[in-house]
Amino acid sequence: MEAFVKFTSQSQGRDRIFRATQYTCALSIYLLRNNSERINLVSKLKSLETNMSAGRKLFRLGNTVNSIEAAKRTMQLSDRVLCLCLTAANMNRALYFICDNVLWARNVGLIRNIDKERWSLNSSRCYFLSLVMSLTRDVYVVLQLMTQRARDKHFRQKMELQLNESPEVAEVVVPHLDAFLFLLLESLKSHPAVALDTLKNICDLFIPLDRLGIYKSNAGVVGFCGLVSSVIGIVTLAQPKLRLKP
Amino acid sequence: MDSWVRFNAQSQAKERVIRAAQYACTLLGYTLQKGGAAAELHKTVSQLEAHMSLSRKLLRLGNSVEALEAAKRAIHLSDSVLRLCLTISHLNRAMYFACDNVLWAGKTGLVSKLDQHKWSQRSFRYYLFALILNLTRDVYELRLLIECEARYRAARSPPSPSPTLPTDHLLSHSTPDMLAWLRRQLHLLVTVLYSNPPLLLDLLKNSCDIFIPLDRLGIYRTGQGFVGACGLASSVLSILTMVHPWLKLKP
Repeated sequence: MEAFVKFTSQSQGRDRIFRATQYTCALSIYLLRNNSERINLVSKLKSLETNMSAGRKLFRLGNTVNSIEAAKRTMQLSDRVLCLCLTAANMNRALYFICDNVLWARNVGLIRNIDKERWSLNSSRCYFLSLVMSLTRDVYVVLQLMTQRARDKHFRQKMELQLNESPEVAEVVVPHLDAFLFLLLESLKSHPAVALDTLKNICDLFIPLDRLGIYKSNAGVVGFCGLVSSVIGIVTLAQPKLRLKP
Repeated sequence: MDSWVRFNAQSQAKERVIRAAQYACTLLGYTLQKGGAAAELHKTVSQLEAHMSLSRKLLRLGNSVEALEAAKRAIHLSDSVLRLCLTISHLNRAMYFACDNVLWAGKTGLVSKLDQHKWSQRSFRYYLFALILNLTRDVYELRLLIECEARYRAARSPPSPSPTLPTDHLLSHSTPDMLAWLRRQLHLLVTVLYSNPPLLLDLLKNSCDIFIPLDRLGIYRTGQGFVGACGLASSVLSILTMVHPWLKLKP
């Protein structure tokens, strides 16, 4: 109980729980859309999803400042690639939050004369760019880990043993690919934080891809990906060791 | 900016800021109505207030657990009056949050055919009991501190010809003596409150808060403007205690 109280006392913790619930509703609505007996349940789920989404927009009102502070911190990183990727990601997130705040004001009725569709597309674009930058950083970190491992003598011995171990298996057509995949999987296994962050960003990427029409999947895929990324977010918040730093 | 980030990271702080904004809207709606402003502006303000109220209900969904944990901690207090007041107050708060969660489920349409008025009244009753117990605790602490201060003063200065009037003399003695006694008590009260800002803030906060359920339950109707002002004042005081944790009354 105490752990639950500590988790929910952080506003990010609550927001991730609400996000997980929101995407669960979206997924359930998609799965039950053709079920004529459950129309009542579907309408309740839709109302819950709208409610959660509206509430979350209100709670996000102060987050632009958070992102700008994060960008100020990442500008001082020593590694240039990390500095560039993270600062760009944080600035794009700040822009995304600004667009989101404008959309909230429009929904509530404080501002009337704005083009809701245009601002919604702009916010999706900023979110998409921030995710692309975060993924670039993930790829860079993974490549760094892989080169580090490849240079390690013990690891090279282990790899030789692994690759020569299975004679029953058919000849590997592209031996380099096999070695590369082995190196990749070993690097990811030894640094779960990077693996989780990469998976989270890939799942999150489907949401703006669908919204911007670049890669149209369906509401079910979007809901499932959103749910997976929210669950990973909850896990990384509950276990700070699994969080990728900086 | 950094302090805003840390403040915003606590979900209770966020809830208090939204509460302050909600009661500011109530107050604004009342002044607009009195000032005869456009109906559309008034409608926007009341819609904003309703949206904030519902979102706060969503944000409070886990608070019953927190109130139960606080009640579990309060049971171990040494002072029996404090133990009683605080434990029952936290239990009432837990019940208030439970009713609030049911109301949220009703408003979002998860539970159909819910008697919203009945559950709303129920939740305000629990809230009123919790506030009464908090005020009792404040008055008890105040009395203890006043007694302490009076004893300290009596020990410090030599006893004067008429220190405190015994009750049977109150009626027979003249008004100036009674006024002097009242002035002394008032001075004691002001000194104690001035040197204990956490107690003063908590007393003010609970006094402001109590007008809200009193109005909603129809026990003492004050009107939207007064309720809005009280709600705004208590939210601001609560934000102050979160920004400066030394201002929070412990336990």
